[in-house]
Amino acid sequence: MIRRKNLDICFLGLFILSIGCAPISRKTLGPGSPEDLPGCYALFPAESWESVHRIEATIRGGSSSLLGVTKGDPSERRFESLLLTPEGFILFDAELREDRIVVRRAVAPFDSPAFAGGLMEDVTLLFLPPQVKPTTWGKETDGKMICNWEGPDDSDTEITGSMESGWRISRRDKKGRVIKEVFLNGPFVNGLASHVELRASRPASYRLRMTLVQPSP
Amino acid sequence: MKKFLFFNVLVTAGLFFSGIALAQDWTSLKEASRNIRSVKANFIQRRFLQILTKPLLSEGKLFFYAPDSVRWEYLNPLRSVMLQKGSTIQVYNFSEGKWKPEITQAVEARRMVFAEISQWFQGRFDESKAFKHGYSPGPPARVTMLAGEGINRFIQRIEIVLSARPGVIDRVEIEEPGGSRTLIEFRNVEINSGFSSEVFEKL
Repeated sequence: MIRRKNLDICFLGLFILSIGCAPISRKTLGPGSPEDLPGCYALFPAESWESVHRIEATIRGGSSSLLGVTKGDPSERRFESLLLTPEGFILFDAELREDRIVVRRAVAPFDSPAFAGGLMEDVTLLFLPPQVKPTTWGKETDGKMICNWEGPDDSDTEITGSMESGWRISRRDKKGRVIKEVFLNGPFVNGLASHVELRASRPASYRLRMTLVQPSP
Repeated sequence: MKKFLFFNVLVTAGLFFSGIALAQDWTSLKEASRNIRSVKANFIQRRFLQILTKPLLSEGKLFFYAPDSVRWEYLNPLRSVMLQKGSTIQVYNFSEGKWKPEITQAVEARRMVFAEISQWFQGRFDESKAFKHGYSPGPPARVTMLAGEGINRFIQRIEIVLSARPGVIDRVEIEEPGGSRTLIEFRNVEINSGFSSEVFEKL
């Protein structure tokens, strides 16, 4: 009886894992109506912003608590991003300007180019919309938007949700696997989500839970 | 290591000078430091960053028992605690309803740093290789510490402003290259008051 129960749990685990590996099905949309298009950008800051987030990072079973400070200007697609320890020591300080990353300060183990690239990619995903117009978009009957951008390397980014229900950003690789997923939930303060969870699965697996502690002045 | 040096400079500076406010000269300051057995205080920390319009505000509390027990705890906006008792150093973050050990414990780095600053606890502050000190009797009395080569990439200068009340420090200001700085104000400071040694072990 106990053995049977263990087998059931094992199969349940395999089932959950297999779901996690399978590409998530998507709705097929065409280009939507022009009046719905601004809805695809509603979750991103429309003007210059400053933010401080409490970040709980989980990676390889361990956890770390940090403060994340970001200041940006969407019209120029640039931002500065800092990671600090609870005591305020700057571990990482970098700027993205014209798609170029300039690292001003980085302390081990945050000093690798791969870390800088990954962090700036995550901040871009959270705060800046893709540079091109979405390939497809539409608004559901409940007011939720579905917008899809195709990337140059056959990857794609999908945004679903609304300011009322919260948003989900999914980034898939060329095989259709979700490699990064972000959940943004309200209340939205100066256009910034109070609660954000980012789950990355490829190339590295980690999770960031972010709480807005100090929005734009 | 530098991360923790920064932290420990901050803690140690506060502790060392908390008992020496009325001292008139450097020799007296060092002598007075030997009377400190324990310190308990709350603190408010303002982190001024070039990119932020408003400073980042943190609150916490501090316990120290000579010669080498420290609890430095942040309550807001992150809940985090560093515990040192003897040679044992642990760091925990409060996350998802429970305390979790920090990934980067860096115990060896911390131990090295504490070995350096233990000289300060013993009144041998002028033996520090990381900082050169200066003293201004005030009022208010101030101690200025200038970072030496290497550490000055992270910290340029530390200024400790002492209270008129004996044994109490008003604030510590840490300046970094590039214009960022940290201001820590101590409140409700208790010198040599009793508290359980469990604060250095229990979360």
